[in-house]
Amino acid sequence: MLRYRLLLTLWLISDLVLFIKVYALAYFLRVGFLFSTDFSFPKYISIVALSAPFWVIILMTTRTFALTRRQTSLKNFAYIVFSSVTAAALFSLAYYFIYGLFFSRMLLAMAIALSIICGWIWHVIYSIMFRSVLRTDPPVFPTLILGDTRESEKLIEILTAQKNPLKPVAVLDGKGSKKEEMHGVPVLGKLNKLEEVLKKYKITHLIQCSDLEQSINLLSACRKREITYMLLPSVLGIVERDERVEKLEGQSVVCVDSTSKWNWFFR
Amino acid sequence: MISFILAGGFATRLWPITEKRAKPLLPLAGIPLISHLTEKIPNNIPIVVSTNAAFGNDFIEWKNTQDRSNISIVVEETINDDQKLGALGAVAQWIENENIYEDVLLLTGDNYCGFSIEKFISSARPSISLLAAHDIGNLGLAKLFGTVLLNEDGKQIKGFEEKPKNPKTTLVSTGCSILSAEILPILKEYAKQHPDNIGGIFEELIQRNINIDCFQFEDPWFDIGSFNAYIEATKILVGNHTLKDSEEQIQNCTLNGANVIGAGSRVINSTLNNVVLFNNCIVDDCILENCIIDNECALKGIDLTGKMLRERTTLKM
Repeated sequence: MLRYRLLLTLWLISDLVLFIKVYALAYFLRVGFLFSTDFSFPKYISIVALSAPFWVIILMTTRTFALTRRQTSLKNFAYIVFSSVTAAALFSLAYYFIYGLFFSRMLLAMAIALSIICGWIWHVIYSIMFRSVLRTDPPVFPTLILGDTRESEKLIEILTAQKNPLKPVAVLDGKGSKKEEMHGVPVLGKLNKLEEVLKKYKITHLIQCSDLEQSINLLSACRKREITYMLLPSVLGIVERDERVEKLEGQSVVCVDSTSKWNWFFR
Repeated sequence: MISFILAGGFATRLWPITEKRAKPLLPLAGIPLISHLTEKIPNNIPIVVSTNAAFGNDFIEWKNTQDRSNISIVVEETINDDQKLGALGAVAQWIENENIYEDVLLLTGDNYCGFSIEKFISSARPSISLLAAHDIGNLGLAKLFGTVLLNEDGKQIKGFEEKPKNPKTTLVSTGCSILSAEILPILKEYAKQHPDNIGGIFEELIQRNINIDCFQFEDPWFDIGSFNAYIEATKILVGNHTLKDSEEQIQNCTLNGANVIGAGSRVINSTLNNVVLFNNCIVDDCILENCIIDNECALKGIDLTGKMLRERTTLKM
């Protein structure tokens, strides 16, 4: 866990530095590689430094640093765009309120574009290293897969191929499986071994992939050991990958909605 | 004749209700599963129960509650599923250690047999082994058991296949047989190679042209190997009733199907449909269907279908 905390802290610090650097780059690209007397660099960069933490906070609130987030996804890119635009707006307001001045709109546009592009590229690069270090044995997030099903097999394959920080280390099956391993992950037996496996492998995440009469007991075991419990929608028969979790008057619900994607904004 | 009950399994598929108790000691329709068997064994036949070290004391406690004195417990030195001797290995070891040379009534402790064991014993011919078989009427289900092919006379077994991929019959072997004293040396020899293949001994005997008779029955029979099997067995044995110690255990409830309310359990303002509540549970304002709830669970204001709850689970809305 120390490894994870250290990497995450480095990621946040590197994002702060990145934000300041891309704004500085935008300044020099726009003004030229000199310190203008008309448009003071120290004033400019001090407001950038003030805005940088807000950029990181907005990224945090959009869960960009979440373990389960794929940095290359379109959704993640959209969140980075949103954070960059919002941070630029905060920067402009701060600059105006503190100095009572406006400055080049082109510089602002360039800073936004650079913070989006560089931010996204940096996140992709950092996440590759982040995932790789987190998966190095012993993995930081050893994950237990419950159920020998086609869905669990696919899940293990994807988690392995994408080098996800959640590294499957063992599989248990409610009724027992004849397989000895699934994509290199050992199948260790039935649910009677749950406690033993949770303890031995120091499991941090448990993913239920098949329908089990014992699901409530899994939840209690996870709560007791502060393990994150996850459930594949296929357990409920949802296999079309068009589900999402929403809040309905504060209560979580799994929604399946096959209507147009553009309805996402309003449904 | 001496009877030998196999009770050394760890019932891994029925976790968590078998976490702290052996499957033969699971209550079925209010009494331990093994008691359903022992009550049917004639009093003059000694009973040996073979179990593992993890549950040895529980069986000794169970034995002390029985009315008959000729029950003994043999404890295998295994404490988990990975170390077990195998069912046939356990039989062979007992025969070897105790120098058994008489007919053995072999029973599996996790099976419920509805037929009369006395009648089964009386139908055995001298020196001929006898196997109880039941027609489960479904080829798909037959894949999970040993299937039995009969001669034209419908009494002698001509073929036996353990868990066949393509069963030729729906007549399956149940956990009840009489092994004649003459075949015990063969059993010991076979068990050395196949300690876990209890059905395999019948295949071996047929291959050696040794006669085995079949006892067919139509009474209920259950192999309590899974959650569904346990619920189904309860439904058939209890019927459309609720088994309980006293009326005070149930207050203002709707009860459908087969329900079993264990000692000290209370159900208030709830709806139950095919629910087995073990001892000292409290269920208040719940709707439960096809559930098995272990000892000392407390449920309030929840709906559950098809769930097994571990001992001392508390769920409150």
